[in-house]
This record gives sequence, C-alpha cells and structure tokens, in this order.
Amino acid sequence: MIEARGLRRVFGRLVAVEGVSLQVPEGTILALLGPNGAGKTTTVRMLAGLLAPTGGEATVAGWDVRRQPAAVRASVGLVTDSPGLYDQMTPQAYLTFFGRVYGLDEPDLQRRIDHLLGLFALQSVRRVRMAGFSRGMQQKVALARALLHEPSVVFLDEPTAGLDPLAARVVRELIVGLKHARRSIVLCTHDLDEAERLADCVAILSHGRIVASDSPAALRARASRETHVEVALARPLPSALDVLGALDGVIEPRLEPSPLGLAGGRLSYRTTAPEATNPLVIAALVGAGAAVVSVTGTLASLEDVYASALGQATAEVGQAVEEVGQRA
Amino acid sequence: MPEAAGPRPQEASAARVASNRRRAVGTLRMTWLIAQRAAREALQDRFTLLMSLVFMVALPLGLVVFVVRPQAASGDPGLGSSLTFLLLMVGLLPAFSAIGIAAGQFAGEHERGVLIPLLAAPATNLALFGGKVLGAVLPPLAYTLVAQGVYLGGLMLVLEPSQLAFLSVGLVVATLLLVAALACFGAVVASLISSRVRTYNSAQQLAGLVMGPVLAALLSLVGRLLDRGVIGLLVGVIVLVLLDGALAVVAAATWRREEVLSRR
Repeated sequence: MIEARGLRRVFGRLVAVEGVSLQVPEGTILALLGPNGAGKTTTVRMLAGLLAPTGGEATVAGWDVRRQPAAVRASVGLVTDSPGLYDQMTPQAYLTFFGRVYGLDEPDLQRRIDHLLGLFALQSVRRVRMAGFSRGMQQKVALARALLHEPSVVFLDEPTAGLDPLAARVVRELIVGLKHARRSIVLCTHDLDEAERLADCVAILSHGRIVASDSPAALRARASRETHVEVALARPLPSALDVLGALDGVIEPRLEPSPLGLAGGRLSYRTTAPEATNPLVIAALVGAGAAVVSVTGTLASLEDVYASALGQATAEVGQAVEEVGQRA
Repeated sequence: MPEAAGPRPQEASAARVASNRRRAVGTLRMTWLIAQRAAREALQDRFTLLMSLVFMVALPLGLVVFVVRPQAASGDPGLGSSLTFLLLMVGLLPAFSAIGIAAGQFAGEHERGVLIPLLAAPATNLALFGGKVLGAVLPPLAYTLVAQGVYLGGLMLVLEPSQLAFLSVGLVVATLLLVAALACFGAVVASLISSRVRTYNSAQQLAGLVMGPVLAALLSLVGRLLDRGVIGLLVGVIVLVLLDGALAVVAAATWRREEVLSRR
C-alpha cells in the first residue's frame, strides 16, 4: 500500500515535484505518465526511500518515507530505466550479492534465485558474465534483483524499455502476476498502450504536478463524451450521408474509402449517446439497402487524454510565466 | 494499584543493548559484503592489474638488481637506511592505487548507473561508505604484500645474512602497517571526494590535487620517523590509524546517499 499527500521535492531552485498526492492499494497498478523531466523518477525515488521529500508525507508498506527510509527500502523493489548491473559479475553472483544485502537466508536465497532465473529464462546464462548481455537480458536480471526479497511494493521505471516484443510481453505478464499476488505497483512508462493495458489507475505528471489522475476508462470518458463510430459497408450506398444526416444525435457524418478495400467505403460519425443513436443508424442504413460489414465505436484514446492534459498544463505554466513577467 | 505493563527498566536496557549489538553486527556484515564485491571488481580491472604487476614484480626486482646489489657489493655504509627506505617505497607505490580505486567508488559507479540499486538497498550509510573504502583498500594492500614479499625474497638472494640483519622483523611489520594506514588515509579522502562530486574524472583530479601535497607532507614525516627506528614508525602508524578512523567516521556521518542522487 502506498499513500502520499502533498509530496514536494526541490533541488536548489528547481521544484522537481510539487503537491503530489496518490494512493496505490494492494493488488493495484498505478501508471505514472509524463514527459521527461515531469517528476516521475523523483516521485518514485522519494517513495522508494532514496530521496527525502522536501515537503509532504508518504507511507509505503506501512513505513514513513521520511522517518523510516531504511525500512521502506527493505520493503520495496526498484527497477530503474537503466538496469545498473555490475557487468563483470554473473547473474548468479549478482543476485547472491543483493540477496545477502537484503538479508535473505542462504537456502531461501538460492531457492528464490533458482525461481527467478527460471521465470526469466536466464538459467542457461546464470554463470556467464553479464558484460555481453543484451539490454533485454540485463533488464530481466534487474527485475529478478528487484523481486528477490519478495517486496510488497514494486517500483518499475520503464521496465520494458529496450526489450524485444516477446521479452516485453513476459515482463508485462509478470507485472500482472505481481498485481494478482497483492503487490502495490508503480509503473513509470512512456508507452501509453502499456499503461492502458496494465494500469488500474493513471496519473499524468507535468512540471512536477499531477495534472490528471483516474482509471484509464474514466480519463478517456472525461476527455471526451463523444464516441467515434465507424461503419464498414460492403457495397456503395449513394444515399448513406443523407440517411445519417436525417437522424438525431449523429455529428459530422463522413464517407471515406475503406482501409480494408471494401467497395462501400467507411462511414464515420460522432455521437454523445451511442446506445440510442447507433441502433437507429444501423436500422436506417439497412432499411436504405446498405450491406453493413462491421460497426466499431471508440472513446478518446489515452494518447488523446495525455496530449490534452499536457497541453492544458503547459498552457497554464506558460500563462503563469507570462503573468510573472508582466508583474516584473 | 496494579503494576504498569511492559518490561522492567533492566529488561528494557538489556533489550536495547541486544538490539544495538544486532544492528552493529548487521552493519559489519553488510560492510564486509560491500567491501568484498568492490574489491573483487577492482581485482578484475585489467589495467590496474597490469600496472600492479609492474609495481609488484618488476619494480622490486629492478631495485634489488640495479640499486641494492651494487650498493651491497661496494660496501656502502648507507645500505641499512637504503633497504628500509626502499622497503617503504616498494610497499607504497602499489598501495597508492587505492586512491584511484576509491575515486571511482561513488562518482564512477554513479556515472555507470550501477550505484542506484545499492543505494536502494537497506544498507546503512556507514556500511555503504565503510564497505566502499575497505573495498578500495584491500586489493592494493594485497599488491603491497606481494611487492614487499618479492623485494624481501630478492634481498635474500643477493645479500649476505649480515647485510639482511639491517631489516628486522619489527621494522618490516611496522613498515607494512604504515603503508596500510597511508593507503587507508588516501582511500578515505578519495571516497569522501568521490561521494561529493559528479564525475569520475573530477573525483580523480580533485583527489590527486588534495592528496598530492598531503601525501608529500606525510612522506616527509615518515622519512623522519624512519630515522627513529621501529618505535618511531609504530608511533606514526598509531597516529595515522586514529586519523583514518576519525576521518572515516566523519565522512560516513556527513555523507547522505541522497546527495549522490540530487546531483543532476
């Protein structure tokens, strides 16, 4: 469980994080999104007991990050954007070293190492120096290190960066597995698709502040109430736009060539009430002789939400800078 | 009135002592773990190993063959002081690599991105700092032992027993201890600098800048102590060990792991 209220961190004159409040219950994944320099890594480092907050409060796995940072560090697993391995060591020696640093008993430690090396398919290279490892293999060893002491809270800073698609899938499955094992997980990522697929909650950071926070679905719904609907037609229907134009609730109907090469093209429109409008549209089209192949409806994507949240935040910062400039 | 619940004062005090002892043992264990890993990495560095081979084998043998043997053959009365001075030099030269290794312990590892996982571990600041200093000192001390062994072995081959008598066991031990204390001093200062700068290069340059004059002053002091024999050297060792200890404690106490992360 992670709980933070008004976290703030200042480096000299730079305010890296300002007023960050969040909650990550057990068995939940929070995705921290934001551009480089938004404050994601600083937030994670404060919550992992690595950096003392300048202001605010936070408890991680029941420990206070300000007063009990050593206990916090013992309870969390951290994977940074760079794997940070001692490349002259073998995975076996590396994991043994960190296992001892985390105070694991020898039989327990070897059992955990065997399990994790098996999980990440690293058993064949367990006694090979890591200097020649690919980025993906290094990241797997880093993940194994973070999970060695079975932490109740896991911080993953871009864990799939640089991984091939299959390795990335293994990592994503592992993250889901950790969630089912009741871990609290904070995932920093630039991959919005990954965030959407994995996260229960998304927090978008900009200039050190959280500018949007909710479940991916709620964020998408909040960004736009309109559903974008596409109807694929098997054969041309010259009256299609007229049929749609006559119906209430249909916004900006369009007819475009079909990306699937269908002769009838792709009919698209927006609506704020898909449950009422779409049945009417389909009935009207079929009544006019259309051969409907498929109907798909999509809300705003997380990418739209991200762009909109960041655009708004940037505009606010720009306005504030302008106001300060005018006052000066 | 019922007695208040909870341990009696003696029990609480005993529990506190036991807890402090456990914590101290934990810190020592962690320090040794970190030191072992750092030392192993330093021993695997091929360039340092190559340079150390020169200092461990070529230099002592060269000194024996080209300096000591001609001096002994000519019956030079200054042979005794030469043997002691060279023993110290043979030990010091490989020991000074501790400064270079220590300079890379924080700044170098931070630059390579390998420091954060260790900083994220539950090790105390003292264990981290002490482990890194110890890890920087152990390999050079091993090189020193080998170099002095090679030098003494060479002396046994070229000198008469009467000439070897200039080097007493006490003097050899005192010299070795002095070299160890000087290496520790260099490593503590270099680690202190390394933990407070951004790059390995600046750590090395600053350590060199600071240690140059300090070591020159210390060596001139050691030269005077050599004239006073074993007792003089042992006094120097005790003073240096105290200085090392105080410096290490102050360095560890004033070091904050987050300072390393705050440097952007």
